[in-house]
Amino acid sequence: MNLSLKRITSTWIITILLLFFTAIILGITMRFNQGKVISIDDGRFYGIMTTHGLTMVAIWAVAGMVGVHYLLNRYLKIGAGLSVFAFVMTVIGVVMFYISTFLGNFHAGWTFLYPLPFLNSFAWASWATPLFFWSLAVLGVGWLVWSVGLLVAIFKEYSLSETFAWQHLSKKEPKVQTPPLVLISAISLVGVVLCLLTAVVILILSFAELYSDGKFVNDPLLMKNLIYFFGHTIANESLYLGLAIVYELLPEISGRPKYKTTWYVSLGWNFTLLFVLTAYFHHLYMDFVQPLGLQMFGQFASYFASIPSAVVTIISIIVLLYGHRIKWSITNLLFFIGITGWIIGGIGALIDSTISNNIFLHNTLWVPAHFHTYNALGNVLLILGFFTWAANEFSGSNTDPMRKLKLALIIIGGFGFVLMFYCGGAESIPRRYSVYPAEFTRGAMFAAAAAWFAIAYLLGMLLIFVDIFKKCTKVFSSSH
Amino acid sequence: MKGQELVLALFLVCAVAISLISYMIYRSTKHAAEEGEGIKNPLQKRFYFLLLWGGVLIILMSVTIPKSPYFMYKDSNPEKVVKVEAMQYAFIMSDETDNASIEVPAGKMVEFRVTSMDVTHGFAIYNPKHELVTQTQAMPGYVNRLRWVFDEPGKYDILCTEFCGIGHATQTGSMRGEFIVK
Repeated sequence: MNLSLKRITSTWIITILLLFFTAIILGITMRFNQGKVISIDDGRFYGIMTTHGLTMVAIWAVAGMVGVHYLLNRYLKIGAGLSVFAFVMTVIGVVMFYISTFLGNFHAGWTFLYPLPFLNSFAWASWATPLFFWSLAVLGVGWLVWSVGLLVAIFKEYSLSETFAWQHLSKKEPKVQTPPLVLISAISLVGVVLCLLTAVVILILSFAELYSDGKFVNDPLLMKNLIYFFGHTIANESLYLGLAIVYELLPEISGRPKYKTTWYVSLGWNFTLLFVLTAYFHHLYMDFVQPLGLQMFGQFASYFASIPSAVVTIISIIVLLYGHRIKWSITNLLFFIGITGWIIGGIGALIDSTISNNIFLHNTLWVPAHFHTYNALGNVLLILGFFTWAANEFSGSNTDPMRKLKLALIIIGGFGFVLMFYCGGAESIPRRYSVYPAEFTRGAMFAAAAAWFAIAYLLGMLLIFVDIFKKCTKVFSSSH
Repeated sequence: MKGQELVLALFLVCAVAISLISYMIYRSTKHAAEEGEGIKNPLQKRFYFLLLWGGVLIILMSVTIPKSPYFMYKDSNPEKVVKVEAMQYAFIMSDETDNASIEVPAGKMVEFRVTSMDVTHGFAIYNPKHELVTQTQAMPGYVNRLRWVFDEPGKYDILCTEFCGIGHATQTGSMRGEFIVK
């Protein structure tokens, strides 16, 4: 692997983790405020909420891209240039975004649901809304160029049908074998490109309204569909990029034979693309003016999205590991725990995506409960597995200090943290409240306990970071 | 058992079961021989697992879809209609009477016609025990019709369940919406 790719990958890893810790501290601040341990004003609270949400979504989406970019070089050639360009755009975009929230006090939430960003000018600086949208534009351009560049590099090496492993559907041993990493990365990247193109449409419509002096007004239902297609898809594709990395690295570091693409793996992941692009309708269940067919399809797609990606992956991992002697390290343990967390979060999501449940769970604490489960205890751990593997690769060192302590802090802290959300959801407590109304007597207690659990999770992450940082920085003084 | 308690119990049972299965898999890798046999007939087991999970999903779909709000009380006429206009940060509710408070009949179907005068809000109805019973979204330019039958008499509160700005949580304060079921 060339040195410049190692260096930009190391830079990404350190930057992502530093932003991750910043976002966790913002999250802990929110839970302490809801727990009445500290007191911050509402405008500041929602600014923190907006920053926390968008930072988390952004860093874990790019983290998956960083991982597949590096690993795809095993099968095809992709230089470091694309990654460097995306990094520069991400830094510029994040700085602009932080100025809009921390200095401009923009606080419309990371989903910036239309028309809130346009109708709250008294609550934040008038320049903050356009700056927020321009920061999204910078981030979007950087990531769109990057994801299209990765797809183009794949298509240079593999034909369209080989990329999506269609030859595996008809032949048991086709002449060209598509590695699972290539298949799953390509499927995920197509989703990423489609949701980023949707973001471009959202931005064009938003700028049109912003700069037309009220002559152009958007349709709230259309904007909501576009925003949730973008938000839902990018969050899910981030997970699938993490899974692509697991398929590539888990067998290798566990001393087991590499995964091969088979007809059911090919079929499963091709269907995943269809389901992930249509499951977002479940975000609009409570908008009864949405066409009925889309609501029905939302539940169908949400349910059956679990078959191709989750069920195929679960069985593949059980077959790989069960009953075989495995040499465990922090890397494959993070993968393994991450898969478990992802499945548990998936059950929470499945419950919420059932329309008859959604009517009493929608926008309660059940929602952050399940997405924090499959992010903080799923995707984050999958990507962190890649980070620990890459750090070892870059430094040539396999040291693994305090492994049990690190994992215990992450597991106890992580599951304790999300359990407080689930309990809050079961008590009908609404999400995104700076403070809870008096009738939710246990809301503050759940929030304060969650903050302490999150501190334990953060400590575990910091211990892992120390080791990763030491190893990754070696690549800057290395000549190979 | 109310719906919220049921889903929490279901979730916790599934979470514990998945964690135990994961632990069993982990343990199996500790005690396996150097050349462990692993799972026999994995293809067959994969097929049965897919069949089982697919069956569970189809059953769940067919049981839950008819209970979705779009079909409930679809063919009956509402006993009472309440118009709701949401705004930052209040719910303005009106009916055909001049009464100061909104009253709806217990055990009869009520229709709420919900819209917004500014941004998108959530219109969530909480029963006297502070449990969320039903909800819809209040979206500018659209009217969502929420139909429900309230069996339990008492004071019901309206809270906002869509982030609508700095006063989102205070939409539940002095300006909160409420109605009485008699």
